[in-house]
Amino acid sequence: MKRSSHAMRSLFLIHLPVLLIVLFAIGPYIWSLISSITPEGAIARGGVRYFPEEPTLENYRRLFARIHFADNIFDSMVVATLSMLFGLSVSVPASYSFSRFRFRGRRVLLLQFLVINMFPVVLLLIPLFVIMSRTGLMDTYFALVFAYATFTIPFSTWMMTSFFNAIPRELDEQAQIDGCTQLAAMMRVIVPIAMPGITATGIYIFITGWNEFVFASVLTGSRVTTIPIALQNMVGEFQIAWGLLTAGGVISAIPVIVLFFFVQKQLISGMTAGAVKG
Amino acid sequence: MKRILLAVLVIVIVAGFAVAGARPERAAPDVQTVRFWYHLDDPETSLNPLIQKFEAENPGIRIQAERVPWNAYHQRLLTSVAAGNPPDVAQIKLWWQPQLVEMGALAPLDDYIAQWNGRNDVYDRVWELTRHSDGRQYLMPLQMVILYMYYRVDMFNELGLEIPTTRDEFLRVAQALTRDTTGNGEIDVYGFGIRGARGGHDYWGSFVLSSGAEFFDAQGNVALDSREAIAANQWFIDLFREHRVSPPTTPNDGFQEVIANMLSGRTAMTIHHKGSARQMIDAWGDNISAFPVPAGLTGRWTSFGDEQNGVFAASDVQDAAFKWAAFLAEAENNQLWQESSGQVSINISNADRDFGDLTRFMNATTDSADFAGVLPAHPATAEFVESVWPAAMQRAFLGEITSEQMMRDLANHFR
Amino acid sequence: MKRSGHRANLYPYALLSPAMLATVCIVLIPMLYTVSLSFMNHVLWRPQDMGFVGLANYARALQDEVFAISFRNTITWVAGVIGLQLILGFATALLLNRDFWWRGLARSLILIPWVTPSVITALMWRWMYDGNSGVINDILVRLGVIERYIPWLALSETSLPAVMIALMWQGFPFFAVMILAGLQAIPTDLYEVADVDGANIFQKFFRITLPMITPILFTTILLRTIWVANSLDIIFIMTGGGPGYASYTLPLFAYIRAYQGLDFGYASTIAVYLTLLLVTIVAVYVVRVLRSEDAMR
Repeated sequence: MKRSSHAMRSLFLIHLPVLLIVLFAIGPYIWSLISSITPEGAIARGGVRYFPEEPTLENYRRLFARIHFADNIFDSMVVATLSMLFGLSVSVPASYSFSRFRFRGRRVLLLQFLVINMFPVVLLLIPLFVIMSRTGLMDTYFALVFAYATFTIPFSTWMMTSFFNAIPRELDEQAQIDGCTQLAAMMRVIVPIAMPGITATGIYIFITGWNEFVFASVLTGSRVTTIPIALQNMVGEFQIAWGLLTAGGVISAIPVIVLFFFVQKQLISGMTAGAVKG
Repeated sequence: MKRILLAVLVIVIVAGFAVAGARPERAAPDVQTVRFWYHLDDPETSLNPLIQKFEAENPGIRIQAERVPWNAYHQRLLTSVAAGNPPDVAQIKLWWQPQLVEMGALAPLDDYIAQWNGRNDVYDRVWELTRHSDGRQYLMPLQMVILYMYYRVDMFNELGLEIPTTRDEFLRVAQALTRDTTGNGEIDVYGFGIRGARGGHDYWGSFVLSSGAEFFDAQGNVALDSREAIAANQWFIDLFREHRVSPPTTPNDGFQEVIANMLSGRTAMTIHHKGSARQMIDAWGDNISAFPVPAGLTGRWTSFGDEQNGVFAASDVQDAAFKWAAFLAEAENNQLWQESSGQVSINISNADRDFGDLTRFMNATTDSADFAGVLPAHPATAEFVESVWPAAMQRAFLGEITSEQMMRDLANHFR
Repeated sequence: MKRSGHRANLYPYALLSPAMLATVCIVLIPMLYTVSLSFMNHVLWRPQDMGFVGLANYARALQDEVFAISFRNTITWVAGVIGLQLILGFATALLLNRDFWWRGLARSLILIPWVTPSVITALMWRWMYDGNSGVINDILVRLGVIERYIPWLALSETSLPAVMIALMWQGFPFFAVMILAGLQAIPTDLYEVADVDGANIFQKFFRITLPMITPILFTTILLRTIWVANSLDIIFIMTGGGPGYASYTLPLFAYIRAYQGLDFGYASTIAVYLTLLLVTIVAVYVVRVLRSEDAMR
């Protein structure tokens, strides 16, 4: 008797509410998935169908056959990967420096990275547009790689400084006693230990680059067209072909969701570390 | 786990670079590449036959055609010009011309056209309309299109309605068509699908510019906030707010929504051009037809929806670019183009073709030719169309501003 | 880590230099350029009118009805979205802090919205809000909440709230995760002591839980406020600011002025106003970081 009332309590106080929140979180995806396998004709007739009578993969076939969607995936891949490489190669040494050295201006510089991360994107849009136009980088991968660096460098510098801080300094000193130079100590000892954190940060940059819309809408769009732009174009191009759009949405969300699950623990601990200490 | 992650990372990076390196394809140095931007309503159509024909006739020129979605077209064109990175040739609307010329974006084509054999096969009226106010010709004609009213023949017959010729008759017809056909107490057919979002100025013009509103009066002063204009605008707003003959989604309805509503039978009339005729026939067969927009208080007005090709001043292959623009304006090729776009050829020699089941839409087009007009050739017109009119119209439809405030906003934009 | 010698002193700066150089080139100089543009008349299609105009753009904004609407909407937008995300995120964190057998799965699924690209968030919600075949309309009609389908994004009263809910969806997992981390850092013996003292569940919540996680709550709210205030992609794709100006916010206004009007001068001014609006919040955050973050020491 007591057991069952306990079970009831936990059903109403835990399981049902959590289930509702989970449904809210994944509901839009479920609905998109349903729409994406509903024939276009059925959607056009109006009304709401929870179980399409004739489920079809036609929308996915159209997505890849008629549109250059594979090209868009490719462009997104390149932009996200290059952003990750650029972001990491610049911010790993910077955060190592912040973590391991005490030097004049350190606080100001560290703070500067925090502050510029908070300035409105619109403040940078116009000048970056002008710069990319003047340098002929408009509509190339590099336009986006540099634009994304405006927020990925500060973010990942902060992130990785906290990862490096978690690694005991004795390790550096040990490596130097063993005859390594400072640079070698960093590269051979500390970076490998920090690898999970660096990977998480890198994947975070990758995800941001994959998802970004505003810069991409202004700095590219013709030779280089990333997925967000392609999806937005499809809205304009097709007569509100929701089956096709939802298919595109589902396809392009999958890579980031999968990547994210690989690193969620690392990433969350990195992001919450600073705040929890506060 | 860490190793797997690392491996994944390395693979992604290597793959990224491998393909990044493999991608850029450069044409041979002696081949000129012409970048061409265009938009067609139907995303399924392909320009390949035209491009192949052109490239066969002009070895040494390669056409790199790029379809730019209509919603983003103007913004993309402007930003590309501002970035110094425009295409070589692009489809251009007449109302963008003043702005683009002001920016020095377009190359004058007079010298080219003087040498071009096809110039006499293009209607004089088209040359006239497309010439810029500085007396130069920047645009190569491509297609003409005139807006008219689509209507559902079966619904008209069912209710015994006649084709309206005045705006009052039109309102009565639209009211009769707005009804609950299933008996569940909900309106499920609306008489007239109004486009309240961007591009809806064509609908607005047909009722407001035909009833006493003018952009500029005879002295050249802005006249959009005249008493007549405000009253005509009020009448148009009332179609939605007062008489509710247009669906509740009207303020946000753009091109796609308006056409989709017509195709699904949610609306019984709407304004568009011949470009939608094929789709309409596919959906409703003989039950869809067309008539010229009804007269307002002072006459009729419909939009002359034009389309030209402009060659950009920044292009370093202007000769080749012009060749492509001229190629598209030659009768045979132009007709091929119209088969993709569903529009009307600009060539005199294409006038006598047999249009088959499209004849009734062709007739509505030609019957409207006499009163078709264009928006003023003013640098502010582009922004009027793109953002000023839509915002003002939506607010007026939603009752946030009065007709008078709306017309004053529009007038101030041109002052 | 005290080092003597000249070389060692330069070493940290050398490691920093790529990041600094990049930041100066792509962030600091561009920002100054924007500020200088804000004092110019710089409409790209009116090249003959370009030039320095002093504070004219700033004055123009104060008289501009659209600026006023955007400003009001920005406040509503931030307060509403943060409030919604906080409430739902808090509830989620409290639930996930309990022990139940599918907690790991639930936590993973709840994080999905957070990594969803904004464009996809916007498209999915636009589709769900659809006035003719939107699933939200269908559900609400079935539940009897509304009588007939409502074009949520086409009405001036509902368009901004509708977009706010979409952003709540995308952002609440962040709150949940941050608050959860705070909850898990509370030592359990505090609750044990309270149990011994006979405290009820509400007393425990208000006396222990809330005070213990206040710092993290505060930090999270500040961070998210800045992020939400700057975000424009979801609004842009869902409504484009419409109907009329009903869902214009300051970043969206600046974006539209810049790329539909090519009015770089005025758009810069709006961006600078937005920055000024955020400076206080950023300052509060920075002070907190300076006090607490041990990386700063």
